Amino acid sequence: MSNEHVTEPEVNENLNVSPLDDFDTAETVSPAPVSDDSILDFDDDPLSATSVSKKSLVIFFLIDTSGSMKGKKMGELNTVMEELIPEIRRVGEADTEVKVAVLTFSTEVRWMYSTPIPIEEFEWARLRASGVTSMGAAFKELNHRMSRNSFLNSPSLSFAPVIFLMTDGYPSDDYKEGLRELQTNSWYKFGLKAALGIGQEANDNILAEFTGSKDTVVHAYSGGQLAQMIKIIAVTSSQIGSKSMTLSDDTTHELGEEDVFAAKQKLLGQQIQELVSTQTDGDDVPFDTGW
Amino acid sequence: MIELEIGQEVEMEFGGKAKVLSVIGSGGQGIVYLVRFNGQKWALKWYDINKMAKPAAFRKNLQNNINDGPPSNKFLWPKYLTKEAEDGTFGYIMELKPEGFDSFVDILNTYKLEIDPLTGRAVKRPVKFNTLSAMVTCVINIVNAFRQLHRAGKSYQDLNDGGFFINVNTGAVLVCDCDNIAPDGSNFGIGGKPGYMAPEIVRGIAQPNVQTDKYSLAVVLFKLLFRGDPMEGEKVVRDVCLTESSELKHYGQNAVFVYDPNDDSNRPVRGIHDNIIKFWRIYPDYIKDAFIRSFTTGITDPTKRIIENEWQKLFIRLRSEIIQCGCGRTNFSSMFIHQNEKTFKCPKCGMEFVTIGFSNRDYRTPLYLGCKFYTCEISPESDDFTAIAGELVENKLKPGVLGIKNCSDRQWKAKMPDGVFYDIAPGKGFPVWQGLEIDFGEVKAKI
Repeated sequence: MSNEHVTEPEVNENLNVSPLDDFDTAETVSPAPVSDDSILDFDDDPLSATSVSKKSLVIFFLIDTSGSMKGKKMGELNTVMEELIPEIRRVGEADTEVKVAVLTFSTEVRWMYSTPIPIEEFEWARLRASGVTSMGAAFKELNHRMSRNSFLNSPSLSFAPVIFLMTDGYPSDDYKEGLRELQTNSWYKFGLKAALGIGQEANDNILAEFTGSKDTVVHAYSGGQLAQMIKIIAVTSSQIGSKSMTLSDDTTHELGEEDVFAAKQKLLGQQIQELVSTQTDGDDVPFDTGW
Repeated sequence: MIELEIGQEVEMEFGGKAKVLSVIGSGGQGIVYLVRFNGQKWALKWYDINKMAKPAAFRKNLQNNINDGPPSNKFLWPKYLTKEAEDGTFGYIMELKPEGFDSFVDILNTYKLEIDPLTGRAVKRPVKFNTLSAMVTCVINIVNAFRQLHRAGKSYQDLNDGGFFINVNTGAVLVCDCDNIAPDGSNFGIGGKPGYMAPEIVRGIAQPNVQTDKYSLAVVLFKLLFRGDPMEGEKVVRDVCLTESSELKHYGQNAVFVYDPNDDSNRPVRGIHDNIIKFWRIYPDYIKDAFIRSFTTGITDPTKRIIENEWQKLFIRLRSEIIQCGCGRTNFSSMFIHQNEKTFKCPKCGMEFVTIGFSNRDYRTPLYLGCKFYTCEISPESDDFTAIAGELVENKLKPGVLGIKNCSDRQWKAKMPDGVFYDIAPGKGFPVWQGLEIDFGEVKAKI
């Protein structure tokens, strides 16, 4: 790679969020040189190819590991996450390299691994719960890492990340300040955001502030629901994140940027709501009863 | 019922029950299960009708396709519908993928994941074509399958890399996911996969049809041969993040082919698109020109897209131009030294290959031990690109003497060194010599 700098992407003034303004283009891009070397100067075996260049999709899980998550909630969460990984493996197919990053927050915020891990190699490290709910600190840490210089450093093209927040309580720090910082991040703006409230204490309004809409917030009151909801959200959002849209019936009008803006987030909201409405409670005992 | 339970029984439309044995996979429209029905194992695709725009019309179309039957044996076609469940959900069963086939996705990835039964961990097993001839045969098979489909008046709609199973030893192809196939002009809500969709679909001004299939087919062929995305180059990578609006721009409004001869703004980037850079140097010009046409004039003018029959001719030619040298080098003649008008030379070992000219082509075909030609190449009325008509072999009684064996069922005539034409019956052969001429009937050939 040369050190030549990349031209700044054009910013469309008409959009209320200027696209791409802080996808800091740290990596440089240079086209292949034209060359007329002789036939034997390079590996010319038509059968030896490397994997097609993939677009990268990072799925961020933000998981509340405060003391109130102890017991059944954490047990259920650990189990479903272990089961979930093989299901997400199929999502990327040949076009997308799916990576996973897990940020836990309690009294402290901590990444499960120091860098996003390709889904094929990812192994879930079981989490334990203790301490308070530093959600604001988690937002700040996420903002810090969602950068070309940090976790989103794939040299090739990326899809906007999937960001999935799970919590069972009210933040114990100033989550608003953290969220304000996060909201300036372009990866966050274009990312697919979803949230899961666990049990009675979780506040859906705060979660909707995080995702930007109520459609992408769901609530689980029991272990069975928790497992269902995590799977629904994670699989649906990674499918949508790594694919484009199915299209409108109306072909009389050409799509403009305003038509497609945040289209994936809207689709995610619709699909989550449809899927959630078809789930059944069964005979699960709610988290908050039976003590 | 979005999901079926293992052990659950699903009632089939015309009686009988399919018992769910396990999950095979899941996709955007539903889940595929392994089932037992009538004592046989089948694949059952069970739809999530919440994700369908028009479930009733979709089911009717599926029913029509089942009644029409597949265009050829290259399709894993829907076989029987299930009854509708109380909530309106339904599915259909089809034959299982036969042994020995890998998915196109695995070929593009160059490996597939298998779960090690001892450790339970996913391990990578390499997947690649065994021979160059198998790869080009696979391309011909794909093109031919879509030619048959389009001739039946149908379009595939969401042609993408998930739609094929391929035998890497033979190049045999099975088209799967045939449930969105619909009469040209109809659409039941499927859009397509990014990168494979025609620009006019991305822009929202067209729905999938035969013309958009042709664009997607060109993408599939490009991905198989060049192992990269024809529209993803410098211009696209500079966007860093492929948001909805950049996708609309780079795959719709302003799609630029990475090797557009008149626009170098989107060239492949070294370190990211190394496959394309490498393979673009290997393929002969007539193949590259076809892709250039597909992805430049073919972007804005769907009628300029390459038709399947043209692709088929180009790839039959490409297959005939593979040279397998005795030193182990196997490549297209474009990667051998063009010694003179009638001879190629191996750049590695110096071995020379004579060529033969056929009266029905304007290019010469290299001859080497083991090279074959096919029925479609010597009989103008034939479309059979798999039946071997002739092969270059060594005489079993006179080692070192090379000749052409008549593997067809027709009598040929060949000129021998004494200047006389002799009848060559099926199963017989004749030596290759300087003044060789062959009369296949309508087609003639000459060294």
